[in-house]
Amino acid sequence: MIEKHKKPTRFQRLRNWDSLKLLKYAVIGFFALFLMIPLLSVFIVSFTGEPVNLFGSFVNPEILSTNIERLQNASFEHYANLFSSGSVYLSALNNSLLLSILVSVIVIVMCLPIAYAFARTAMPFKKTLAALCTMPIIVPTFISAAGFIIMFGRTGWVTHVFNTMLGTEGAIFNVYSMLGIILVQVFFFFPFALWPMVAAFKIADLSVEEASRNLGAKSWSTMVFVTLPLALPGMISSALLIFTVSFSDFGTPIILAPDGLNLIVVQAYREISGFFNWAGASILTVIMVIVAAIFFWLQRLATKGKDYGTVSGKPKKVKLNAKKAVTLPLFTYTSLVVLLPVLTVFSVFIQSIATTWGRDLLPRGFTLDHYATIFTRSTDNIMNSIILASGALVISVIVATLVSYFVVRQNATKLDFIASIPLVVPGIALGIAFIQTFNTAPLQLTGTAFLLIVAYAIRRMPYMIRSTMGSMMAIRSDIEEASVNLGASRLLTLTTIVGPLMLPGIVAGSILVFVTVIKETSVTILLAPSEWAPMSLMVFQNILRGQMYTASAMAILIIGVVLILQLVANRLTKNSLY
Amino acid sequence: MGSVTVKGLVKQYSDVPALKGVDLNIREGEFYALLGPSGCGKTTTMRCIAGFEDITEGDIYIGAQRVNDVAANRRNCGMVFQSYALFPHYNVFENVAYSLTVRDLYRGSYGKRVKSFARLMSKKLGKPPKELYQKVMDALQTVELDHLAERGVGELSGGQQQRVALARALVMEPAVLLMDEPLSNLDKKLRNTMRTTIRTIQQEIGITTIFVTHDQEEAMSMADRIAVMKDGEIVQQATPTELYGKPLTPFVADFVGSSNIYDATVIDGRQVKINDQFVVHTNGVTENGEAKVLIRPEGIKILREHSESRNVIEGKVTMSTYFGPNIRYDVNVGEATVVVEQEFEPGIPVYDQGDHLFLHIPEERVLLL
Ligand SMILES: Nc1ncnc2c1ncn2[C@@H]1O[C@H](COP(=O)(O)OP(=O)(O)OP(=O)(O)O)[C@@H](O)[C@H]1O
Ligand SMILES: [Mg+2]
Repeated sequence: MIEKHKKPTRFQRLRNWDSLKLLKYAVIGFFALFLMIPLLSVFIVSFTGEPVNLFGSFVNPEILSTNIERLQNASFEHYANLFSSGSVYLSALNNSLLLSILVSVIVIVMCLPIAYAFARTAMPFKKTLAALCTMPIIVPTFISAAGFIIMFGRTGWVTHVFNTMLGTEGAIFNVYSMLGIILVQVFFFFPFALWPMVAAFKIADLSVEEASRNLGAKSWSTMVFVTLPLALPGMISSALLIFTVSFSDFGTPIILAPDGLNLIVVQAYREISGFFNWAGASILTVIMVIVAAIFFWLQRLATKGKDYGTVSGKPKKVKLNAKKAVTLPLFTYTSLVVLLPVLTVFSVFIQSIATTWGRDLLPRGFTLDHYATIFTRSTDNIMNSIILASGALVISVIVATLVSYFVVRQNATKLDFIASIPLVVPGIALGIAFIQTFNTAPLQLTGTAFLLIVAYAIRRMPYMIRSTMGSMMAIRSDIEEASVNLGASRLLTLTTIVGPLMLPGIVAGSILVFVTVIKETSVTILLAPSEWAPMSLMVFQNILRGQMYTASAMAILIIGVVLILQLVANRLTKNSLY
Repeated sequence: MGSVTVKGLVKQYSDVPALKGVDLNIREGEFYALLGPSGCGKTTTMRCIAGFEDITEGDIYIGAQRVNDVAANRRNCGMVFQSYALFPHYNVFENVAYSLTVRDLYRGSYGKRVKSFARLMSKKLGKPPKELYQKVMDALQTVELDHLAERGVGELSGGQQQRVALARALVMEPAVLLMDEPLSNLDKKLRNTMRTTIRTIQQEIGITTIFVTHDQEEAMSMADRIAVMKDGEIVQQATPTELYGKPLTPFVADFVGSSNIYDATVIDGRQVKINDQFVVHTNGVTENGEAKVLIRPEGIKILREHSESRNVIEGKVTMSTYFGPNIRYDVNVGEATVVVEQEFEPGIPVYDQGDHLFLHIPEERVLLL
């Protein structure tokens, strides 16, 4: 007999309530709390000019009424001030735009021959040069900047060599200047553009090129009139990427920008940490996010429908140009370009083992004392880095796995969009948003390690998600259904089937999170409480105090850790660039 | 316990109606085939029964229980997927043990729960309890794979993977076994062996089985009963013999076996004029008017000489083909084409293109649809 149609009891409904749904709300809650609300509150504060305690409004009617009052006073006044002539903010924005445009143009021009050399020629020592051309991006920029000071500063060894050879006095150029910042960014960010450009050159339609050559065109004119236009979208996209990276970079300007040079990231940092000027910091944050978002969007537009980022498994066989007359100049040029970043890191290394060094080519003597110092006096910083990075790693693994699951399996496009917002929020901007949102009760988290960890996790989330999403997509959905069919809930399936199958992607992604957190400076400087200072902050403070020897030793330690972990991650994902 | 009843099942994807009111009555222990062309909704029906789809309308009962609101993992339907969907990170034993371990995880004492979870995460974290081990090995023995228990599933042939999938579904003693085109990834020879294997195991266990296929031969040779589907609806539900002998619509007739289907005019209830070409008697009765007529090719007899008996017509062979143990003739009668099939035996006359012959269509083989 068949039962009468019955409504499910509440108990049944509770049992059937998908535990995954709860998790989905938890993930959305996480992003709302630590991304959307902070950004929203910065946006509001940029109009009110005074802090608005959004969370407080929910629990305390008094706070609510203050907030409403402040909202009523909201105006475009602060924005109007911004655009009045002679405003500090306006000059900061102008300088930053100028810096980023110059850096991206120079990088593209500088990379053109190198990209061509990697994609189309049989240049000697290609593998070694490829490795060296990847290395610069793993060096945190404030360390590169410090390296520049060691080389080109008033007492730098390059300055010394230069002066002895020419019999001159003084620095070759002032490292503490726009020029210094441009040089560091150009030579340490160029790999971001180089590899997509190499891919673009490889993908550019070879048959069209060959046809052009068959029609009797000289190879240089084929290059200029056929290959370049074909690779153009890839190059434009690279330029836009470099722009965003340079615009959000904090490490270089904070070390090298002189007092007279306003840059938006530095200005924002000063507003919040020096003057507690909420209005100014918020406006600068809003502007930073908007600029980064526009350029990010343009970059997406340029690469729409074209996958330049990845070199596919089966590249077309290209006939590599092996003419000595072409490959030797290219080899020389490429070597010269990588020479500068290599020397910079090498200088930091020498500094870390020098007894005293300055106004001379070589140090007076060598010692391991600085390493001994950091391993005795700075073990706290090392431990802090490990704990903070591990915390961020755990949060991002869990959240990213869940987000990939919801996006791939349940087509949660909004969640996908929200999770990629951190891509356009520069570290300083996120830091300011966090300080403003979490500095008063009921959610007073500023100054806790927890907030710092969450900030790290949020910043790296899009990259982690990219990595987990890839492996998620490789898992057929019927494998999951089989598990459910065999009696496991969706949640158990996620733990026993999906999780283990995604493991390689998760591990690779989390290593990268670990690496970037260890390198991180901008959020760290704003949010790290002194008892939780990580390695990067210790290096930073020592550079500012002029304690170059211990700073260098710690910097080398960071670079070493980063390098090793990065190699492991690459091995795991088998995503070698070459 | 194991009967399955589907009532007025409607499944609407955002704009496509995949099922438009499906009714099924599957008895306990029955081997039931869902047959139909690609896209007719077989998989959707099965996924609704398994609980993978939110149904738009209708009711599904397994045994006496209405399962509309029962989550997929509590329905106790064993499913064999077309792609097998084996867990690649588990070996054969772990794959088959999965459902039992999961059951222990939900139902056992706390100690047992922890141990089960550990075993799901890695086999290094514990040995399966004796009882579970025995059950799994028994299931593997049923499909003759007990010697490969420790193999990785990636190192198995297609047929072996298929049998692991079957054992994995059977080991949890489900109320119903659901199989979605389980044989379509196998080569023809293996498919025939597996048909027998599946049918034998099903008979031994006596488990209610729903078997999806678009291969009529497969359905006809394995199933107790068949439901023929078209465009999200069940056209006919019957035993193979019934389906063959008394198809309800031309679609079923055409889908099940080869057939001659004609537009016809019924003259006086007992005589039909086919394609305006020739008249035959039938013992089916209908009202006068237009009708469809089905004549199975193997129901037609070939005569060498003209005979005065009823329903003998003359024709000319336009094509003769051997296929399998049969010869098939395409015969022109006036302007109509009649397909005739005859079992080949040594000694019978064989006709060539252009030969004249006489066809006798027995009255009981002229079916009105
Ligand atoms: N997720 C979906 N979204 C929208 N339409 C779907 C979806 N799944 C199936 N359909 C549609 O529902 C109809 C029935 O699909 P179903 O998969 O049940 O067919 P099938 O009978 O199993 O076919 P096949 O023999 O090819 O497997 C088809 O028209 C199909 O396009
Ligand atoms: Mg199907």
